[in-house]
Amino acid sequence: MQTDALVLLGTGTLLVFMGIASISLSKNLVKTIMSFQVVLFGANLALFASGLGTVNRLTTDVFVLLSLALGAAVEGVGLAIILAVYRKYGTLDPSKVRRLKG
Amino acid sequence: MDPSELQALLFSGALIGTVSFALFTPKVSSSLIALFYASVILAVIFTLYGDTLVGLVQMATFAGAISVLTLSVILMTGESRLALGVRKLGGVALVALLLFIAVVFSLMVGGGSASPSSYPDISSQVLVFLWTNRPWDPLILIVAFASAMVTISNLMSREP
Repeated sequence: MQTDALVLLGTGTLLVFMGIASISLSKNLVKTIMSFQVVLFGANLALFASGLGTVNRLTTDVFVLLSLALGAAVEGVGLAIILAVYRKYGTLDPSKVRRLKG
Repeated sequence: MDPSELQALLFSGALIGTVSFALFTPKVSSSLIALFYASVILAVIFTLYGDTLVGLVQMATFAGAISVLTLSVILMTGESRLALGVRKLGGVALVALLLFIAVVFSLMVGGGSASPSSYPDISSQVLVFLWTNRPWDPLILIVAFASAMVTISNLMSREP
């Protein structure tokens, strides 16, 4: 694998871990969705970089395309759920939304 | 150092910087602006490494649709306190200028073409590959998108 592909792969991995850390630390549902977006960026970048300079490049690029589209749909639904939660509970703090807590 | 490696380091640093700012700044509106720039930088990376189609989709969905949707959500929930004064607009313009300089530098490194010579543009091959080898994937995506749109409109229109 070439050096620039390795740099992009490392960047993607770093973004995934930063996003996961931010999801676990976040106390705002909008910030949680933004962190999810960062995880998605990192995963797509790592997938794209893993195909650079290899014979499987077309396959990885197609999967990046599909991942982008599915991630956008998931994120749109997440934002709509956040809006519904805010209307029902009046807060965006996930620790105060206790209806589903066992 | 190889110009291609320098280009990868430049854009990776810009991406990590904007994402770090987006994740660790307390204001949601600043996070949104930084994430918008991160989407643009990622789209530029995809385009420079030979996949214009993926870059275009990234730019249209994340820098376009998702950013507007997130902006509407943070405005509706009152989380924004969006005060775009002259100082903040200056910061936004500075980041845009730096991004423009990075793109121009990369175009010069690539010898005037949109992608470095070692990574040819394969967008048309991606489309042909998708339609000939994985024809069910676009159908699945259309169904997923339609379901997502129905869910979004249902959740947004429901009375409390």
